[in-house]
Amino acid sequence: MSEAILAVVILLPILGGVLIPLLPFKNRTQMMVYTEGLVLIDSVLAITMLFQQPQGSFVLFRFTSNLTLSFHLDGMGTVFAAIVSVLWPLCVLYAFEYMEHEKHEKIFFMFYVITFGVTLGIALAEDVVTMYCFYEMLTLVTLPLIMHTLTREAVLASRTYLYYSLGGAAFAFIGVIFILIYGTTPNFTPGGVLDLAAVGDRVNILLLIYVLCFMGFSVKAAMWPFSSWLPQAGVAPTPVTALLHAVAVVKAGAFAVMRVTYYSFGPDFVRGTWAQNVVMALAIFTIVYGCSRAVKETHIKRRLAWSTVSNLSYILFGAAIMTPLGLVGALSHMVAHAIMKICSFLCAGAVICKTGREYVHQLDGFGRKMPKVFAAFTVAGLALMGVPGLCGFISKWQLVRAAVDSQNPLAYAGVAALMISALLTAIYMLTIVVRAFFPRKDFDYDTIRDVKDPGWKMLLPFAIFVIAIVVIGLHSRPLIQGLESIAAQLP
Amino acid sequence: MDAWILLPVILPVLAGVILLLSLAFDKKKNGGGQPDREPGAEELHSLHGYVAAVLAVSAALALAAALSGEHSVTLFELLKGIPVYFHVDDISRLFAIVISIVWLVVAFYSFVYMKHEGKEQRFYGFYLIVYGVLMALSFAGNLVTMYLFYEIMTLTSMPLVLHNGSREAIMAALKYLFYSMCGAYLGLFGIFFLYKYCDTLTFTAGGTLNPGLAQGNVTILLIAVFGMLVGFGAKAGMLPLHAWLPAAHPVAPSPASAVLSGVIAKAGVLAIIRVVFYVVGPDFLRGTWVQTAWMTLTLLTVFMGSMMAFREPVFKKRLAYSTVSQVSYILFGLSVLSPVGMTGALLHVVFHMVIKCALFLTAGIFIFQCGETRVEQFRGIGKQMPKTLWCYTFASLALIGIPPTSGFVSKWYLAQGALEAGVGVFGIVGPAVLLVSALLTAGYLLPITTSGFFPGGIVKHVKAEEKQDSNLEPSLEMLIPLAILAALAVLLGLFPNPLINFASRIAASVM
Amino acid sequence: MEFVQNFPFFSILLSLFSGPLCSVIGGKAARRINLVVITVVGAMSASVLHFTIRSGEAYVYLMGHFPAPWGNEIRVGVLEALMALFFCVVMFLSMVGGSLERALEIEAEKENLYYVMVNLLLSSLLALIYTNDLFTAYVFVEINTISACGLIMIRQNGRTIEAATRYMIMSLLGSGLLLLGICFLYDMTGHLLMSNIKEQVQILHATGDYHISLLVTVSLMSVGIAIKSALYPFHAWLPDAYGYSTLSSAAILSSLVSKGYIFLLVKIFYRVIGFDIVRDSKIVNILFAFGVVGMIMGSVSAIKEGNIRRMIAYSSVAQIGYIYMGFGIGTTAGVIASLYHILSHAATKSLLFVAASGITDASGESTSFFDLTGAGYRNKLAGVAFTVGSLSMVGFPMFSGFISKLLFAQAAVDSAYYKMLPALIALAVSTILNAVYFMKTVIRIYTPADREEIQRRGFRNVTMADQKAKSAALVCFIILNMALGLCSEPVVRLLSEGLQMFA
Repeated sequence: MSEAILAVVILLPILGGVLIPLLPFKNRTQMMVYTEGLVLIDSVLAITMLFQQPQGSFVLFRFTSNLTLSFHLDGMGTVFAAIVSVLWPLCVLYAFEYMEHEKHEKIFFMFYVITFGVTLGIALAEDVVTMYCFYEMLTLVTLPLIMHTLTREAVLASRTYLYYSLGGAAFAFIGVIFILIYGTTPNFTPGGVLDLAAVGDRVNILLLIYVLCFMGFSVKAAMWPFSSWLPQAGVAPTPVTALLHAVAVVKAGAFAVMRVTYYSFGPDFVRGTWAQNVVMALAIFTIVYGCSRAVKETHIKRRLAWSTVSNLSYILFGAAIMTPLGLVGALSHMVAHAIMKICSFLCAGAVICKTGREYVHQLDGFGRKMPKVFAAFTVAGLALMGVPGLCGFISKWQLVRAAVDSQNPLAYAGVAALMISALLTAIYMLTIVVRAFFPRKDFDYDTIRDVKDPGWKMLLPFAIFVIAIVVIGLHSRPLIQGLESIAAQLP
Repeated sequence: MDAWILLPVILPVLAGVILLLSLAFDKKKNGGGQPDREPGAEELHSLHGYVAAVLAVSAALALAAALSGEHSVTLFELLKGIPVYFHVDDISRLFAIVISIVWLVVAFYSFVYMKHEGKEQRFYGFYLIVYGVLMALSFAGNLVTMYLFYEIMTLTSMPLVLHNGSREAIMAALKYLFYSMCGAYLGLFGIFFLYKYCDTLTFTAGGTLNPGLAQGNVTILLIAVFGMLVGFGAKAGMLPLHAWLPAAHPVAPSPASAVLSGVIAKAGVLAIIRVVFYVVGPDFLRGTWVQTAWMTLTLLTVFMGSMMAFREPVFKKRLAYSTVSQVSYILFGLSVLSPVGMTGALLHVVFHMVIKCALFLTAGIFIFQCGETRVEQFRGIGKQMPKTLWCYTFASLALIGIPPTSGFVSKWYLAQGALEAGVGVFGIVGPAVLLVSALLTAGYLLPITTSGFFPGGIVKHVKAEEKQDSNLEPSLEMLIPLAILAALAVLLGLFPNPLINFASRIAASVM
Repeated sequence: MEFVQNFPFFSILLSLFSGPLCSVIGGKAARRINLVVITVVGAMSASVLHFTIRSGEAYVYLMGHFPAPWGNEIRVGVLEALMALFFCVVMFLSMVGGSLERALEIEAEKENLYYVMVNLLLSSLLALIYTNDLFTAYVFVEINTISACGLIMIRQNGRTIEAATRYMIMSLLGSGLLLLGICFLYDMTGHLLMSNIKEQVQILHATGDYHISLLVTVSLMSVGIAIKSALYPFHAWLPDAYGYSTLSSAAILSSLVSKGYIFLLVKIFYRVIGFDIVRDSKIVNILFAFGVVGMIMGSVSAIKEGNIRRMIAYSSVAQIGYIYMGFGIGTTAGVIASLYHILSHAATKSLLFVAASGITDASGESTSFFDLTGAGYRNKLAGVAFTVGSLSMVGFPMFSGFISKLLFAQAAVDSAYYKMLPALIALAVSTILNAVYFMKTVIRIYTPADREEIQRRGFRNVTMADQKAKSAALVCFIILNMALGLCSEPVVRLLSEGLQMFA
């Protein structure tokens, strides 16, 4: 029954989360201990499980004889589950300090913890139906988190988010149906499950459906033209923006895209067709588009959100290359971006939470007053730019290696887009850094006398992320080898 | 164990970081009030001692590393099959030695100069770090290692540009940053392709391009290499990414502009040498559209830089345009892809580094002593500071290329290289443009000397009136470094043979 | 012959005669009788279902033992019994859920009349489900129409009269067309019993006689029923009728009455004409087109609507579109999907109506969208129920709507190109549109309102204890919905078995 743990790690946070508003906590500390304990235990369980690598699958529930909710751990799932389970406890810790002054804390933490379980559900889903179910559920449980402040903007943002996400899922659903009907099995299988004999002369239709499915799932990954929800959703409290809108939710979209591309439709089926060109062109366009918007944006969180838009399309671009190397590139950027972006978001959050300043031009001289926060921010920014020695360079290298290797002219254009995006990234990240560390000569530090570094609960995550950025940047071998072994399963 | 050759990298970087960190801690002690309080004379003194000691030791180590034969160090694998790898070869030697000397000399000059700019601790922190990074850049043994330090160099040299914190300085620094980044990413774009089509990215004289793999992908490879030329050319001020240079150099403190113009612009040249002669291989480019385009761009830059310098009234800006023009001499010498041309280019690297530093130091003295920046204000300055102006004159003559100064030697080789290389019409156009540009150089540098010594009337400068003293000559701490550089500019032209031999040995090895 | 086999006949008779009975007794007693009748009929349907599943085949019940072509027949299989059972369950819950509103909105002396109508409606629905005689079917269609009018009109608020009149006119138009079709058929075949007609039609089809007439007949009957079941663009009567009538009427009308007609259409297709002939006649393509357009336009109208009741009503137009789209695909899988959607929509739509009334209760009876702000906090159960219903409508996994969407999509994938893509795209777009108006409402009811505004308007909190009946109904509806969503397989199996027995 070692497979049961697959279900346990998913259900534990969901059920435990539901209990948060019901349990009679005497004070805030008790709730903190319970929440952090719950998440931590689940993380430990999940990571233990990742090391054990249970081979079987666990069927939680059967809709019908061939539609099941079942879980299975494979390479890609391991990567995503590992990212999620490492980041969640840290972000919960950060959230305790951040949410101190917000209302409805219990509801917030309830959904925050439930989302953990649901995201793990996406990572561990064995088949496309299970993934779809958890994908939809993710939309729903993250909705209250965006709405949390209940301001007019928050409600509007959550509405947009909902429409986009559900709409995307509706189109992705078509793809799911096709996989069910034309696939030999709904389970994810490296290299795809399409039964080409059954497809017959419907290849073009199927390709069209693939494009729809790709676009549907990439709504969550904020691909153009479905990207505007993400910056809007920045009204949510920073722990949400950082974890969900830089990692869990948006990466779930990218993850789903990779799943259907590499494990359901199969890269061989799509590679070299018009469908590949369409999705790749969209991803390439988004890479540049997101960055350009980020440069224009002056609200710090929205700027980072646009940056996320661009970076997620790096992942989608990797997926669209449709070679094993492309998968390595996409997965490595998934890991790298998770760390870099969460780090920069948490920095932005620390600034907003502790000083209430939200716009880039208000950050003059902050580097001297919040040296630790801005040191972390600088490292994250440099990593996002792809400075060698930090993790962003590693993933970019893998992506580009795949693109160059594919000998596809459009992929070459993608490489160029990556470079342009790197330059724009330099612009939008370094202008903040320069401003913070090198204010104008007549700048009066008395105007920001109140600004200082936050407490340890916020700083601990920073430290860990910065170390991770550097360590992965300098010693990427194990990570890349692991990812390559995943990609090696593709035929 | 050859790991000790990294000491000239690690020592200054560490020392610089310590300086910057102590700055941060200092602030904490002050209770976060005014963070940039002015240090006392005592503190300044010890700061100077510290910087001088670190630089001297590092430079000595660098010289030792450069002069004691072949060394290589592999640190760790950054990417699969691509370690962070250092290797000392002839090119490294050339750059490391010249950079060390110039850096040290300029540092001594800056001790006095920086008093009027303030924030010395921050300045020297970055000054030391950039030195270490430059050494690493010189010693880098493969393309990715070089790229790594190239990026770090950009980032750490930016604070030198924005040092005075004025609005223009910050904007110029950002401009510098983004142009450099743009260039670096163009370079990176090429690196990705070279990684695929070369046997190895480790620098190997003559190139490592695998003809079998490259077959059928020549177009994209040529595009990639052209991107790298333009990209790394950004640092060297080559068209079309040259615009940052005239913006950034004038606003930086003079010692910083001296090293930016003299040294850091050469980092771009180093990168291009490495790419063209040590990875791609000159044979691959010879006769292609890339070579033609490259030559055209360099000649255009040479001419345009000179023209702009000629009509620029602000002295430091004029010098910056001059840099644009002069560095493209070097690039032109490389672009003809002939051994003689490359010899000329390498010689000009050395000579221009020395000369341009000297010129910027002069500009610094003018600003420091007279507080004036525009050329027409320098009338009669020769009366107040004859020694400085003499140094300036020698350096100018060298830059113009009047025999027997150093500039003449390098330009001779450059022109000869162009004529010999068999590059068709460029064999004639090239030398012609170089000649015209030399005339323009004379036109924009020498009037300062002439009007300085022969103002045609008595001109008193404001500062001189304040001081009630017609002698504005700077202190020896500033004058001696300037004199050393000016002397070098002349002497290297008188005794060029060891250098010529060295440079032609390098050129022969790669072609 | 087993005793159970009499139950379909008994249930029709029981509900038919309990109608007049209610007219002579008091309101309270009538209400009890009504509930008892529904329960008993439900129980009988359940046992019939059990019987037919066990026997594995349909049986024909001769009324008065007169053989065809003279006698009147009832034909019972799994599908019929399942529908009857399900209709009873939904009707029971709707009656329970709407009891509070009825007490307020119906004049006390007319209350018993309401139950007359409900009983008659039930009997006519049962008759439509069970009968094997085309003319009997027509008779009960008329009874159905009249009693439905009564259900609309019973709430005397001015608008309902107009709505009922509209409904009456449209419905009679539909019945007229249906009647014409029946006459044509009788003329061509000489029979009124479905099985006999089918034999003759097969012969006609084989020989090629009356080709045009047959086509016209099928079209007339399809269009007639389409009008009666409010297929777009014949839906003009629907929003008012559902939007302004009393709660249980709205729930019953939306989830049962139109579904009864649709079931009759299935019967005509399968048992009277033969599905192959219908498919070849291309009439399905027209239904498909109208269905697809209805799916989109219904939702678009719903988005524009500012009154929550009318919004839900417009959503029905879209859902009817789904059902016709399923028929239009022209495969058995499509019909099964449509049948499943009949169940799913019945369970969901009545849930939504009841939940919406719970929400409006907490907003001072205002159905205007803006007054609903924060109502989800004031009436927690109704908020949850409305959310569940909305999610089901959007096709969220775990709820019944997901399964019907799944079945529709699967059916569409197996069909011809020119139907597959429109169907799939329409499904996706309609899902988005559903999300737009339903989730907008969900977000609205969970957006906290201004506290002063609440006090000024006198909105009160509603707890489960205040509305026991409604709460119980809501809970049952939620369970029903989730059961359909989670354990769909047996239901789908019954439907496909039933459809095999059907023809």
